[in-house]
Amino acid sequence: MSNIKIKSKNLNVYYGDKQALFDVNLDLNEKEVTALIGPSGCGKSTFIRCINRMNDVIDICKVTGNIEMDGMNINDKDLDVVSLRERVGMVFQKPNPFPKSIYDNISYGPKIHGKGETKSELDQIVENSLKKSALWEEVKDRLDEPGTSLSGGQQQRLCIARAISVNPEVILMDEPCSALDPIATAKIEELIDELKKTYTIVIVTHSMAQAVRVSQKTGFFHLGKLIEVGKTEKIFKNPDNKMTQDYITGRFG
Amino acid sequence: MNIVLIFLITIFSVSLFFYGKSKTKTISLKDNIKLNALPKFYGYYLVLWCSIPALVFLLVWSLFEPVIIKSIIIETAANQGAIFSDKNEANLIYEKIKAIHLGTYFGDIDSILRESALAYAKFINLFTNSKVVLIFGIIIASVIYSLKKIKNNNKARDDVEVILKGLLFVSSLIAILTTLGIIFSLLFESIKFFSVINIFDYLFGTNWSPQRAFVRDASSITAAEFEELKDAFGFIPLIAGTSFIAFIAMLVAVPIGLFSGIYMAEYASIKVRRISKPIIEILAGIPTVVYGFFAALTVGPFFRQVGENLGLTVSSESALAAGLIMGIMIIPYVSSLSDDVINSVPQSLRDGSYAVGATKSETIKQVVIPAALPGIIGSVLLAVSRAIGETMIVVMAAGLAANLTINPLESTTTITTQIVMILVGDQEFDSPKTQSAFALGLTLFIATLILNYIAQRAVKKYREKYD
Amino acid sequence: MTKEERLKKRHRAEKRFRFYGLTSIFVALLFVVILVQNIFSKGSSAFKKTVITTEVFFDQELLEIQNGASQEEIMEADFYDIMIENLIKAYPAKDRDEEDELLKLFSGDAEIEIKKAFLNDNNLIGKTITLDLTASDDIDQLHKGNYPRDLPEERRRISDFQLVIYDYFVENKKINKNFNNYFFNNGDSRDPELAGIGGALVGSFYSILICLLLAFPVAVLASIYLEEFAPKNKITDFIEININNLAAVPSIVYGLLALQILLATIQLPRSTPLVAGITLALMTLPRIIIPCRASLKAVPPSIREGALAVGASKFQSVFHHVVPLALPGTLSGTIIGLAQALGETAPLILIGMVAFVVDIPSSPVDPSSSLPVQVYLWSESAERGFVEKTSATIMMLLSFLIVMNFIAVYLRQKFEKRWN
Repeated sequence: MSNIKIKSKNLNVYYGDKQALFDVNLDLNEKEVTALIGPSGCGKSTFIRCINRMNDVIDICKVTGNIEMDGMNINDKDLDVVSLRERVGMVFQKPNPFPKSIYDNISYGPKIHGKGETKSELDQIVENSLKKSALWEEVKDRLDEPGTSLSGGQQQRLCIARAISVNPEVILMDEPCSALDPIATAKIEELIDELKKTYTIVIVTHSMAQAVRVSQKTGFFHLGKLIEVGKTEKIFKNPDNKMTQDYITGRFG
Repeated sequence: MNIVLIFLITIFSVSLFFYGKSKTKTISLKDNIKLNALPKFYGYYLVLWCSIPALVFLLVWSLFEPVIIKSIIIETAANQGAIFSDKNEANLIYEKIKAIHLGTYFGDIDSILRESALAYAKFINLFTNSKVVLIFGIIIASVIYSLKKIKNNNKARDDVEVILKGLLFVSSLIAILTTLGIIFSLLFESIKFFSVINIFDYLFGTNWSPQRAFVRDASSITAAEFEELKDAFGFIPLIAGTSFIAFIAMLVAVPIGLFSGIYMAEYASIKVRRISKPIIEILAGIPTVVYGFFAALTVGPFFRQVGENLGLTVSSESALAAGLIMGIMIIPYVSSLSDDVINSVPQSLRDGSYAVGATKSETIKQVVIPAALPGIIGSVLLAVSRAIGETMIVVMAAGLAANLTINPLESTTTITTQIVMILVGDQEFDSPKTQSAFALGLTLFIATLILNYIAQRAVKKYREKYD
Repeated sequence: MTKEERLKKRHRAEKRFRFYGLTSIFVALLFVVILVQNIFSKGSSAFKKTVITTEVFFDQELLEIQNGASQEEIMEADFYDIMIENLIKAYPAKDRDEEDELLKLFSGDAEIEIKKAFLNDNNLIGKTITLDLTASDDIDQLHKGNYPRDLPEERRRISDFQLVIYDYFVENKKINKNFNNYFFNNGDSRDPELAGIGGALVGSFYSILICLLLAFPVAVLASIYLEEFAPKNKITDFIEININNLAAVPSIVYGLLALQILLATIQLPRSTPLVAGITLALMTLPRIIIPCRASLKAVPPSIREGALAVGASKFQSVFHHVVPLALPGTLSGTIIGLAQALGETAPLILIGMVAFVVDIPSSPVDPSSSLPVQVYLWSESAERGFVEKTSATIMMLLSFLIVMNFIAVYLRQKFEKRWN
């Protein structure tokens, strides 16, 4: 049994008057992939955006309850979100490379955090990150080209490389393959398998097949509530809850 | 007379409308055709045909009648022995003749003037009569034509729409006509100017003193006068002064405008934004003459006083005062446009930056601004083009003498100031001095055109990138 | 640098950056406040004028008319002697020089003001009435506290003796402030105490009216064409480029256009609201077309399709459905364009509106001034009295602009439909 990396207790999220999450209690294990599934608008993305406090960006969003990483309260008002996000990276639904060169896209994070004081250290970080995200071979000769010139799948791997570049402990992935074709998706999934050796990964996905392929643990959300959570195998073969059963057999969603 | 004519045209049109409307009943009854349009469209059709040709003719006629009569009268007066050496005297005589005709002239009337006044009366009569006759002719012709057209016509609506569409098209052509008008009026005088002054003497001359160009008639110019003129129209001090003041203005407007725009787009709460944005935009709505007044009566003397206390000589028409106030005027152009541009940078880029742990200011400086850069440059260029075309502030607060200086405490002049100074009061259209104002106008027009073109291209390209 | 130090430094940079932004907004707002405060503090006194309460006795011997004289007789009668005789009694002056100085404390219109009193009541012969006569500019400014009296006499426009008279007036409560009707009713004048914005108001009104009548229909028709009917071709593109460029052409260029085409070629009368209106219309046209098109574009295609689907022609769908929905936006764009035109000065200077016009124009083809040009003209004058008049004119101009902008905002917020 692996260690618990992140633990949420009675987590509630409100957007203005609307409540988006209801008493979510969910533990995420270290160096494991946890998949979150559920129909659109059920709160999966809202949940992972609590882990790196991305919800702070939205003015009307309010979070109550507890969410801890290695015993540290993430929701603490005094917590520095900048250093939190250094430890919890994120990859978004649509690839969002900066309008800069491939090199600058990756060196951006280390530079602002003061990692890699010298050019050669930075070069090393860029190379390592690109290698870990399996993009190095494809782009090593054109690091000066803008990140936006890559294909969709490559852009998403670039964004993963950008997330790894600051050496986080957790990587959050918000439907990372929804904008990609099957071949690119397969590549990303392979990559996730590789990455879980080093990082704790949470992935939100619409594709149940993907959840089965990449994750060890799965949580099912519905209407802002965590309905069921458990080992991926169990959730998909033999769920306890009727609603989970209906969802994975495609009766609604 | 014109009002009577317009009134008559209106009456004809209205009665034709009712005629056309009732006429359709007989068409549809007699021939058993199914009408494809409501009866009122037959009315509209007749109205359009009756009024548009007549009104267009009346307009064109009224525009050219005075010019033609004037040239005829001046010629007859000349034939009768009136003596005038130049255009101004000819104009004076023409005005006298007109006044005699109206009975408002109280000077001496000699035989030449009397004869000419009679001729004037004759021509006015002739022109008015022929105008009336021609307009009625046009109305009759177009009404006959249109009546014929609506017989056996079951698609009057389509025809009306074709005519109206033409009207819409002509309205949109006004934009092209205005541009052509600007180019024509600027070029016309500029060409005359450059036939006297070498274009290179103009573009690269370092001395601007048009008051020396007292030459009245450019067509007969002596060699000595020519030498004198040669270095009276040097453009360099003007462009230097204009750029200098615009530069000072941008030093004020760009930092303040850009930071306000950034703050409003990225930091301000909805409430702060809703209040502060319109207040800042007030600065763009205040007439420039108000800024000019403020600069000339408050800021200029204030700077002079401060300078005196510090032991500096500050001109009360310093480039600094004019530039500072112009900069304030331009703040909202920079802030609003950059606010818009920054707002249209997709949120996903910001999220990407926050997700690797960047602070807000790092995100703005390193991701948002580089992404918005073309748009921001475009808005700054638009602001520059406003600055160099701005007139009232510099007319009131900047100097009149063309000094080549880079000391912001001294006075300097601008292109627009010189245009106003040359053209205010009485002008003699044939002197190189007056023509030089049009040459300056042409230069200004071309400069702002280029700036705007580049700016709009930059902004458009940027928009396409993120739409 | 340790990690903590580095973080602290980054957060300090964040605060600094935020502070710059806030300061910039504050500075911009401060400018608005300073400007408005400066204008108001200088201008508000112009709405009052200083008057000297004087007893006027209508002496039969000095006036050559009888009680009950007709209006024409009064107009032709000479009131000069009556004026002199009565004004010099306002203060016990010793000799001719002192009397002259006393007379200079009254405005140049004292005679006319006395005549007007007689026009109101033609039975005043042999009677004495008290009249509030307008004071001269110097006394006006002195009384309003705009003129320093502690300067040495040779640098002052008011002599020591005049100051003595002034103090005597103040002591005897003969000097007062009344509502300045001249400021609103009179045309321009060389004397600040008599100068008014009546002519400029009427001139501006005619100019803007002509501008509206010309620019609004053409702008609306052109926008409808470009937005609804224009085919995508080179001509349409060219028109669009032209409109965008015209909106950015400096206003003074329109002045040159008007000078060459309207004055020199077509020979319309100089310095008139007619020419001003046409010039402003040409200038405003592209500035109205742009918001008009935006509001037409904002009407969703479903409205057009709905109308077309019930068998309306393209024209009917546009004129019956799209145009009415776009009207609030169109009107508010037009009003904002007109507000800009109202404050425009440079092109009007070129077409000769800087001429000194005393009479209030009775038609758009009479020579006239306009509010912003009046500001320019008076700001060039040396007399102190014109500073407050200029500021007051600016206050009038700004209040018109504020009202127009409020109407525009109100129209948009109240009537414009939001499509989501």
